[in-house]
Amino acid sequence: MGGVEDDEPASKRMKLSSEELIHLSNGSTVKESIVGSSRDLMARPLQSDGGEEVVGSKGVIKKVEFVRIIAKALYSLGYRRSGAHLEEESGIPLHSSIINVFMRQVLEGDWDESVATLHNIGLTDEMTIKSASFLILEQKFFEFLNEEKVMDALKTLRTEISPLCINHSRVRELSLSIVSPSHCFTVRSPKQDTSRARSRTKLLEELQKLLPPTVMIPERRLEHLVEQALGLQRDACMFHNSLDEEISLFADHQCARDQIPSYALQILQAHTDEIWFLQFSHNGKYLASSSHDCSAIIWEVDANGISLKHKLSGHQKPVSSVSWSPDDHQLLTCGVEEVVRRWDASSGECLSVYEKAGLGMVSCGWSPDGKWIFSGVNDKSISMWELDGRELECWKGQRILKISDLEITSDGKQIISICRETAILLLDREAKVERFIEEDQTITSFSLSRDNRFLLVNLLNQEIHLWSIEDDLKLVSKYRGHKRTRFIIRSCFGGLEQAFVASGSEDSLVYIWHRGTGELIEALPGHSGAVNCVSWNPTNPHMLASASDDRTIRIWGLNNLSAKQKDTHGNGIHYSNGGT
Amino acid sequence: MGRIFMITLEGRVYSCKHCFTHLALLDDIISKSFHCGHGKAYLFDKVVNITEGEKEERMMMTGLHTVVDIFCVGCGSIVGWKYEAAHEKAQKYKEGKFILERFKVLGPDGGNYLAIQESLVGGSSDADDA
Repeated sequence: MGGVEDDEPASKRMKLSSEELIHLSNGSTVKESIVGSSRDLMARPLQSDGGEEVVGSKGVIKKVEFVRIIAKALYSLGYRRSGAHLEEESGIPLHSSIINVFMRQVLEGDWDESVATLHNIGLTDEMTIKSASFLILEQKFFEFLNEEKVMDALKTLRTEISPLCINHSRVRELSLSIVSPSHCFTVRSPKQDTSRARSRTKLLEELQKLLPPTVMIPERRLEHLVEQALGLQRDACMFHNSLDEEISLFADHQCARDQIPSYALQILQAHTDEIWFLQFSHNGKYLASSSHDCSAIIWEVDANGISLKHKLSGHQKPVSSVSWSPDDHQLLTCGVEEVVRRWDASSGECLSVYEKAGLGMVSCGWSPDGKWIFSGVNDKSISMWELDGRELECWKGQRILKISDLEITSDGKQIISICRETAILLLDREAKVERFIEEDQTITSFSLSRDNRFLLVNLLNQEIHLWSIEDDLKLVSKYRGHKRTRFIIRSCFGGLEQAFVASGSEDSLVYIWHRGTGELIEALPGHSGAVNCVSWNPTNPHMLASASDDRTIRIWGLNNLSAKQKDTHGNGIHYSNGGT
Repeated sequence: MGRIFMITLEGRVYSCKHCFTHLALLDDIISKSFHCGHGKAYLFDKVVNITEGEKEERMMMTGLHTVVDIFCVGCGSIVGWKYEAAHEKAQKYKEGKFILERFKVLGPDGGNYLAIQESLVGGSSDADDA
């Protein structure tokens, strides 16, 4: 923009737009440019004389903006000549001349001139002008200090920086740095460089962040747009489950279906009754399952497949759930309204039994440091014990009686529990703050994501709801398709970056959805009874286990014929029976 | 089979007479003036721990209704029906509500109910014009 000329009233503050750029470059009489730049004199009349020109099939990309960010990208790649040539050939200058002037003044250290130019750019926001002036004068201040010109620095601080009346705390810091130069180092925020005056290029970058993007195009804007597009492609790729995929710019990214575990690689038969629960250990090396036959089994996962390690007997009632200790050395099992038992995972020995006279446990879990355990009790309370059996705390609150999932976040801060038929309580233990997820339908079970940010809630009406629980409680997605009329059916997160949701179902199929889009990807047949629970190996995105009323566990993986895999176990289905 | 999801009610509960699964609360009774093949039936606002059968058109004492039979999740025995739709305007108040046959449930005091040996053959009866 030829810009607001020096003799024009300062009150003429125009908002800059690329349209202005075109019109003024269109040969209007801008005799007195602020600084004669050769680019200005080469203003060529552009084709557009009304609406802006657009490129692209959808007609949403403005040509001027497009060319400017390409020019910017060329410059940042270091191709100065190409960048200049593009500006010349297209007739679209990257920056208006006044901005070029401004940038040069900053880089050359003409501080006062640059502040003056700043006022002439035509910004409408007072605050922006002040903040930018502040940055420039701050640089001037520090450069004076660098050169030991303390009096000049002081003068700058007093007569130029302070009158701006902004950022008072920073002004105090600056005055402190005159008094005690060493203090300056600690005073600087960690983000700034350790040298007292940062480089002028960095200053320019900071200024560019303050000014509106149409005035000074942000650094690396084109790269950012491309990365954004790639990110969207990746998110939309429903089968994205392997790290190997490299995203190319030449074609839209789309994985083939074969990265989702959908082949039954093994069938584990060792339980003598319905299997109600199963879970992989955190390190993915073990699988624990629990059954109506009053036992739990620890299975070992290795390169050859999954084999039975220990059968844990001792409960007098069906075992409703298990919980791995954070270090995977121990396992908790919970009998239905009975006791909680603690087992050593490597020896299979029962280490402790936790019970309360006259009452029964309904759920169990570990504290994140593995030092104490907690358990839901059928008198609506939650009990916490030290490992040796000493009861620590007993929290009585609003909970429903018998079926009650209970989880604790991995930072130990929140306890999550079903507290009413249609509500889940999230209790912040330190802040004593209660939050509630409210649903319209009865909640049957839930599971927590590994990053503690999401909750998967199973409802009576055959829907699975995904809730974000980090800051505000928000319903994010719904997943449908599976069947549930009578039983507790469990679902889980899984796959690469937990991008998938899997669930059991009363129709004997294992359901897998793409978490982001909510699309049903697979419904895997094989079991001959309701699938009660699923667990995805946290360290192997290609291994999924399912537990069923047909007394078997199925291990799902990738098709053997696919090349690079970590979990192929020979051909066909392996049947593994328990015991030797 | 599977781990049955059961809601436990608190208060004065009507439960399945075979397996004692909780079905409804006394406070949720809308009307006691209904009849079925086995005698009395109550209209409830809310019933839990049931599964639903297929939709059927049934001619009741008060007209044609779309109903589904309801079964106890614990033992699968039929305990009553649910009104899905009423074809006459006067009967619309029943939509979405449940009928529990008194013969099939235990009352809050645990009391059983002896079926009246009426020869009301076939299907449900209905009644109560609110």
